[in-house]
Amino acid sequence: MNDDEILRGTFVDLRPLVPADAAMTLGWRLGARARLLNSGAVDVEQQARWIATRPANEDNYVIQLKDGRDVGMLSLVGIDTVNKHAEPARFLLGEEVAVRGIPAAVEAMKLLYEHAFGTLDLIRLHGMIAGGNARMLKWQKYLGMREEGCMRSHYFIDGVFRDAIIVGLLKEEYLTISRPRMNALIAMAAQGAGVAGTEIKE
Amino acid sequence: MTQEEALAIVMRALETLNSELDASEQIDIAPDTKLFGADSVIDSLSLVSVIVDVEGDASDALGFPISLSDERAMALEDSPFSTPTTLAAYVVDLANEPR
Repeated sequence: MNDDEILRGTFVDLRPLVPADAAMTLGWRLGARARLLNSGAVDVEQQARWIATRPANEDNYVIQLKDGRDVGMLSLVGIDTVNKHAEPARFLLGEEVAVRGIPAAVEAMKLLYEHAFGTLDLIRLHGMIAGGNARMLKWQKYLGMREEGCMRSHYFIDGVFRDAIIVGLLKEEYLTISRPRMNALIAMAAQGAGVAGTEIKE
Repeated sequence: MTQEEALAIVMRALETLNSELDASEQIDIAPDTKLFGADSVIDSLSLVSVIVDVEGDASDALGFPISLSDERAMALEDSPFSTPTTLAAYVVDLANEPR
């Protein structure tokens, strides 16, 4: 893993997902928190193969605390450098206790957005959220995503068909709405934790 | 808006959060439940859920929008998100600001 592939934050880093993460990430994917994600591999071998065969238009990360503990995963998929858009996906905090009280989710998402709108120079991010996943919809809207539409009965989850809510975020909305909110939460946590010399990347 | 009214809004938001969490992740709701920082019982995904609901309900009650996570909150020495009581106090402060 090249050091320059790691996206670095104050509380968490995003490091590239590798096949050696198969057992850990499969455990997360099989947990209760992942029940509203699309279904995936059923065993470690399948999961390792899935990780190894990710296409070039995806950036897949493990969310890692600064002390080295892996706590979740997050991806940017469908990276389209012509139309300059992509989809944040597979967001999952697998180690729920380890991330209590720290803005791990907020900073992980900020690092991904910075990567998308900065390094990759995209102009739009979009995604689909399963109807009934109210907490995730609130989360995405708080981070600046706007509801753009609905695909009715698009997902079959837990034995029922659910709508897919389509959300989207433009670069200028990220810069003016999302980033200030994310920075505020990260800075407050850094202040509370007494993280010395914290500088929130603007 | 009084502290009691604001606290009721925060507690409702926490009840909503519990309705969104799995059975194994339910939190004990009390005025001094730790929401942010060391010993917090929730992650930032859940904190955001609470913030969104409190912002929405408080704005509806007040008749004008309030924003809980901005530079003003950042400038406070003690985070307003520490507990339901401190969050309610911050809502009252915002509600009583001259406009």
